[in-house]
Amino acid sequence: MLVMSRRQGETILIGDDIEIVIAHIGRSRVKVGIRAPRQMPVVAREMKLVREENLAAAGAAASDLPRLVARLHR
Amino acid sequence: METKYFGQISFEPDSELEFPSGLPGFDSRRRFVAVRFAESDPLIYLQSMEDPDLCFITMPILAVDPLYKLKLSGEDLDQLGLPQARQPPIGEDVLCLTVLSVRETGPTANLLAPIVVNLRNRRAVQAVAPESEYSHQFVLMPQEASVCS
Repeated sequence: MLVMSRRQGETILIGDDIEIVIAHIGRSRVKVGIRAPRQMPVVAREMKLVREENLAAAGAAASDLPRLVARLHR
Repeated sequence: METKYFGQISFEPDSELEFPSGLPGFDSRRRFVAVRFAESDPLIYLQSMEDPDLCFITMPILAVDPLYKLKLSGEDLDQLGLPQARQPPIGEDVLCLTVLSVRETGPTANLLAPIVVNLRNRRAVQAVAPESEYSHQFVLMPQEASVCS
């Protein structure tokens, strides 16, 4: 992984059309501004994890239920 | 109502939940019914009213982790219609559920993003915590169910 040091207000460019600005540095969190093409999804990683997890959860089948219930009651 | 797992069922109006902004991956699904059967306790099914094929299998989060600590963002508290001043105690003001996934290796619970329901107005959110110590794929051990009351 490439690691760069930046101060508040400084910017990183990724390719030609993505700009990442270190907008504010607080005690335990930083605010990051992201300028990217509209079609490029920008989400916090945990949001992606949760979306994938929800899609997996929704994929359960009726045939999974008896086993799940048995597992919880064992 | 048509359901994914149980055919046609009827439900009490007070078991209807509203997710004002849907759930991640299912942003347009706003209305769900919480369904529970004695024989599959402690499971609680969240059946979409808008899509019969969408039903989440959940259980009370405290049955998985009795010490679970809720950390709702200001935005989530707002959506639930709860005061910003404090975190709501689970079980008193809010119902807190964890979504289960069935994997080949066994069931897992998403502790990273609990479903929180305000019991007074039936509004619900899936609260995505910033990457915390809680796993989105917490492995459910059989004995975990025994702590459920």
